[in-house]
Amino acid sequence: MSLAEPIAGTGTPIATGTPEVDAAPETQSVPWPHRHLLDVDGLSADEIDLVMRTTDAMREVLARPIAKVPALRGRNVTILFYEASTRTRVSFEVAAKNLSADVVNIAAATSSVTKGESLVDTVRTIEALGADMLVMRHPASGAPYLAAEIFGGSVLNGGDGWHAHPTQALLDLYTIRERLLPAPGAAPRTATASGQLLAGRKVVILGDLLHSRVARSNIWTLTAAGADLWLCGPSTLLRGFEAWASRGAAGRRFTVTSNIDAALRDADVVMALRIQRERMASGLLPSLREYAARYGLTRARLAAARPDALVMHPGPMNEGVEIAPDVAVGTNSVITEQVTNGVAVRMALLYLLAGVKS
Amino acid sequence: MTTGATLERLAAGEVGALVVELDIGRAWLVDPASGREGPGEIVVRDGIVEAVTWLEGDEAAGVDPGGVVVAPGFVDLHAHLREPGNEDAETIATGLAAAAHGGFTTVCAMADTTPALDEPSVLARVRAAALASGSPVELLAHGAVTVGRAGEQLAALGELADAGVVGFSDDGAPVGSAAILRNALAYVGTLGLPIVDHAEDPGLTAGAEANDGYVATVLGLRGWPAAAEESVVARDLAVLADVVRDVPGARLHLTHLSTAGALDHVRRAKAAGLPVTCDITPHHLALTDAWLAGARRWAWDAGDDPWTDGAVVAAPYDPGLRVNPPLRSVVEVAACLAALADGTADAVATDHAPHTSVDKDVEFGASAVGIAGIETALGLLLGAVDAGRLTLARAVAALTVGPGIVLGGRSRRRSFGLVEGAPADLVVFDRSDRWTVTPEYLATKGARSPLIGRDLPGRVLLTIADGRLAYEDVSA
Repeated sequence: MSLAEPIAGTGTPIATGTPEVDAAPETQSVPWPHRHLLDVDGLSADEIDLVMRTTDAMREVLARPIAKVPALRGRNVTILFYEASTRTRVSFEVAAKNLSADVVNIAAATSSVTKGESLVDTVRTIEALGADMLVMRHPASGAPYLAAEIFGGSVLNGGDGWHAHPTQALLDLYTIRERLLPAPGAAPRTATASGQLLAGRKVVILGDLLHSRVARSNIWTLTAAGADLWLCGPSTLLRGFEAWASRGAAGRRFTVTSNIDAALRDADVVMALRIQRERMASGLLPSLREYAARYGLTRARLAAARPDALVMHPGPMNEGVEIAPDVAVGTNSVITEQVTNGVAVRMALLYLLAGVKS
Repeated sequence: MTTGATLERLAAGEVGALVVELDIGRAWLVDPASGREGPGEIVVRDGIVEAVTWLEGDEAAGVDPGGVVVAPGFVDLHAHLREPGNEDAETIATGLAAAAHGGFTTVCAMADTTPALDEPSVLARVRAAALASGSPVELLAHGAVTVGRAGEQLAALGELADAGVVGFSDDGAPVGSAAILRNALAYVGTLGLPIVDHAEDPGLTAGAEANDGYVATVLGLRGWPAAAEESVVARDLAVLADVVRDVPGARLHLTHLSTAGALDHVRRAKAAGLPVTCDITPHHLALTDAWLAGARRWAWDAGDDPWTDGAVVAAPYDPGLRVNPPLRSVVEVAACLAALADGTADAVATDHAPHTSVDKDVEFGASAVGIAGIETALGLLLGAVDAGRLTLARAVAALTVGPGIVLGGRSRRRSFGLVEGAPADLVVFDRSDRWTVTPEYLATKGARSPLIGRDLPGRVLLTIADGRLAYEDVSA
């Protein structure tokens, strides 16, 4: 797909330049067509590319002595989290503050999903209190769609149930792009022989796929980028993904396996997912020890991948379970870069959404 | 009315008023009791069907089955009317009004009220409410199998049978254990009544939200496997086979079956001569799990692959679609349609399950479970008929004689066909008249239907129950 092609339905060409993020978001030469960011499934290749290039611009901002632009001055970004989180919540908060937004943080009790004030009432209240953008995390899959139905501004999904974690998938893609593809100036990062960013690259997502919103969103962005995607874990934690793989539309295929040796062989990227202790209680796994022995990402296992393979983890890690401590901090690890890039990606998304004309 | 059918009656009466004089001319009559359908006329005098006339030759010219149809009033084996205990979601009065609007003249209330219908005084309360409503729709009831539907101690089965319940069910949950089920089947088998079981292994459905498979995986919803239904159906049939050796009158009815495997179990059990019947809901015949992703196509329009793209389409996670059992894949739905067509399924039962907006308009996974479908059942079935998946005669039979057999003579109605000399139990609907589902048009209090905004074929023009007016369309 040519980058000069218009976004379907908008008739507006997406330029290839770097957005001028010091200016107000409404002045973007490249309009962003989506009021909300609920998932990555509806994003076109051009739109994902625009997020990447806007993130480049935000990285440049972050490298300044005063890492701040006035783009969202006077806007209220409310962060509503119904689940415990450190890195995603703080990342959004730092991103919004770097854009000079006013930030309100609300930590809702995790147990109040079905009790007390309903989500609908909470969102109405937040809007009445002046929120322009709502970042939300919720344990129920699909909850941000409900919020988006009633909220007058933009909703950014910070993770819903097992369903989606769009900013994580975009920061993962950004991190892979940054590391695997040549630096700007050397060659364009957006075009390969097939026109796809990650064509011919093998990416493995390893671990608890079943409960992972990170994996579900990454399936969309990584297959859209043309990666040879493999999902690997114990079969109890892969349930349903073979059905997805076999039903996915053309160009959305991926491989599902419990064979970790086959998965890791010549991999360019290995992304380990967190294993939670509750999985033992619900009978999905015999023990953490057995999981670590059979699926833990150790240095010995990583040797089967390409020497320069990237090791990723969305955090928080259980070191010694899904990832060995030396691998987590080893030379292949880009885990802290994921965190840094997360701020830039979230700045980019807040910026792009703020420019949408309602 | 496109076929020249005529409805001549005295000035519109009130609900409950005796139908003194009604002439239905040149309509398409469907009589599932005799298996006959065709052009005809019906005359009702003083609430009694005075004449059923089949038209032949020139007289029949221009009358076709795509216009006004007259059928026996429908029978719903499975409806949650919420009274007593949850009158904010539905009352007997609003439930019976909704039934009449849907063409039903006999409704079996489920026992999962608060308190549960586990002893005769609750049944008396339900009947008093029905009487007070003034509706002529016949209200029947299932008693609970166990006290409080808790699955442990048998409810007052004999007393409830004497008081007139038509079956026993712990619906909302399966009969707790095989041992309790065996005893219940044997005990009520001697009373000539069925156990109506909701087949679900709760161990396999803990926290489950959507049919296990492609759609649930993509949407990140907890999978609800077909095995949860099929394993309990297999258990129930094994227990039934055990019981009928000693108690030949034992009968099992499996309600809201939704999978190919469960229906195969029933098909084989029927072939082996076991006394089992089953029903399927309208939504499990017409809607698929792809609706959860916003891909809202009728099952018969969806082909083999309703949702290949996988990306969310529009307004996904509609809590109006949260139901037990869950909406299934297009393959399972095709099997349900086939089982209804071939007679494996005896009846269509609505599992009408109204809820308040407080309980329904929340996150999908937190939403109350159930679809209020008694008013849209006919429209969905006629959609399947229009698509060629079902004959009109079979659809009508599944709403009349099919459930009538399960009732086993406990209804006031002597026949579920078009019979001269009997009190009129009739529904008149126009297949050519499509109507739009809106909260205002529905009589149920649980108006959070997933079909809001959709057009359905077959507007109900008139419903008569026991010779009295139950519903009359005044929009024309």
